Amino acid sequence: MTERGFPILSTAGLTVTTAGGRTLLRDVTLQIPAGRVTALNGPSGVGKTTLLKCLNRLIDLTPSVRVTGEVRFAGDDVRGGGIDPDDLRRRIGTVFQQPVTFPGTIAHNVTFAARKIGLIAKRDEPDAVERCLTAAGLWNETKDRLRDPATILSVGQQQRLAIARVLAGDPEVLLMDEPTSALDTRSTAALEETIYSLKNTKTIVMVTHHLPQARRVADWVACLCPREGAGELVEANECELLFDAPEHPGTVEFLSCCSG
Amino acid sequence: MLTILCTFAALFALAILVAMIAIVVIRGAGGLSWQFLTTDARNAGAAGGIVYHIAGTLLLVLTAAAVAAPLAAGTGIISHFYLPPGRGRRAIERLLHALNGVPSIVFGLFGLAVFVRFLGLQKSWLAGGLVLGMMIVPTVTVAFTEKLRAIPRANIEAAFGLGLSRPHVVTTVILPQSAAGLVTGVLLGIVRAAGETAPILFTAAIFAGATLPRGIVDSPVLALPYHIFVMAQDAFDPAMTRNLWATATVLLGIVMTFSAIALPLRMRLHEEARHD
Repeated sequence: MTERGFPILSTAGLTVTTAGGRTLLRDVTLQIPAGRVTALNGPSGVGKTTLLKCLNRLIDLTPSVRVTGEVRFAGDDVRGGGIDPDDLRRRIGTVFQQPVTFPGTIAHNVTFAARKIGLIAKRDEPDAVERCLTAAGLWNETKDRLRDPATILSVGQQQRLAIARVLAGDPEVLLMDEPTSALDTRSTAALEETIYSLKNTKTIVMVTHHLPQARRVADWVACLCPREGAGELVEANECELLFDAPEHPGTVEFLSCCSG
Repeated sequence: MLTILCTFAALFALAILVAMIAIVVIRGAGGLSWQFLTTDARNAGAAGGIVYHIAGTLLLVLTAAAVAAPLAAGTGIISHFYLPPGRGRRAIERLLHALNGVPSIVFGLFGLAVFVRFLGLQKSWLAGGLVLGMMIVPTVTVAFTEKLRAIPRANIEAAFGLGLSRPHVVTTVILPQSAAGLVTGVLLGIVRAAGETAPILFTAAIFAGATLPRGIVDSPVLALPYHIFVMAQDAFDPAMTRNLWATATVLLGIVMTFSAIALPLRMRLHEEARHD
């Protein structure tokens, strides 16, 4: 278990190129502290999602990209031979931009993967459903309709359901790729509250374009900017410091664009 | 001018279908009765009914479906889920096209050589079902892969993001969400297999003397298309001619029933795949 505040995830010289030779990310060296919320900021198309996918090897599912450099999780090289990518993805769960619901009930959506992997026994399923939905801030809204199809939930609720589903796998890290971009203000506030409550127990890495949101929920911010067509990490710092006293011209420009 | 020519072509194609159905039904309707559908044939098909021919045909197509479904599911999943887009996937698609183009009489000869003789099944419903099953694999696979393509990429990525292994993703996400495509493909395959004579000519069907099979080896069946094939060559007796057309009407009815279920599903799958 990595101690709170110490790096749980790190990259060194991480570069991602397509088969056509286009560089998506260049030489990204970053440390992500345990038990904190880290926001990845930067303009659209700069490779934030690609960086996120490299952290738990979801990038392996994208054909024709080449990843070089190093990604370490709790000290282990995630691309090394001793790492099982499926187990890695369970330990570093992902919540996507668009909420995904699977056919079946709300309860089934929470536990189906954890049950398949063997993390939850059938008899423990009701407790697990309650625990995960509570942690995702959705229990009160769904406790009376757990047997209803998940598709009846609003988009905001579906996104929190996706978080509950990831939590059922008991991950150490949650990767969130613009989790509120499809949500209205009220749902965004509910989700931010969920993120805020989770940061005591999980490490969270969140891609967001929304600077006020990053200010509200993040402890640490990494800013990526484009250079010669590829995304590069230009600055990473404590949230307050990066927003109030940015050092890199790219960060200054991005912050002024977004706030202006 | 082009519009007129195209309209004419479309109407001509429709007219062929309508005329074919009309001729078969008009000639065959007189011979249809409950007794015809529920009794065994007598006097070399000139009297009696076709109950065992219907049973034999259904047994053959159901066996074919049972053979084709897992083969098509495996092929579809390998080509669209395990293989990356590229040469391997294209090679499988080309092989399926090639298999689809193999004349049915060649399938029959293959079945004779492999199942009837080499494996020693003799003329039997299983040998016929295996040959028909192999023949409809491309049809079933194409319908199944259309449904596979329609599964949102986000669902698959989300399943992997939960730590599910590839086989787990197949069983929990891919198969449940593509089962309708497999069912549609099987129905379309049955439509094709039900009317085939050549593949069962040497492998499964006899003209008379069989009821329901009591074993696997050397257990031939009666079948509607083969019955029509033989009677059409020797039908000088008016009673036999009447029964020939009545049998053709029943076969057409079976095929049209499966088509009526399968085609709307197929169109829906096609739309889903297009809008993915």
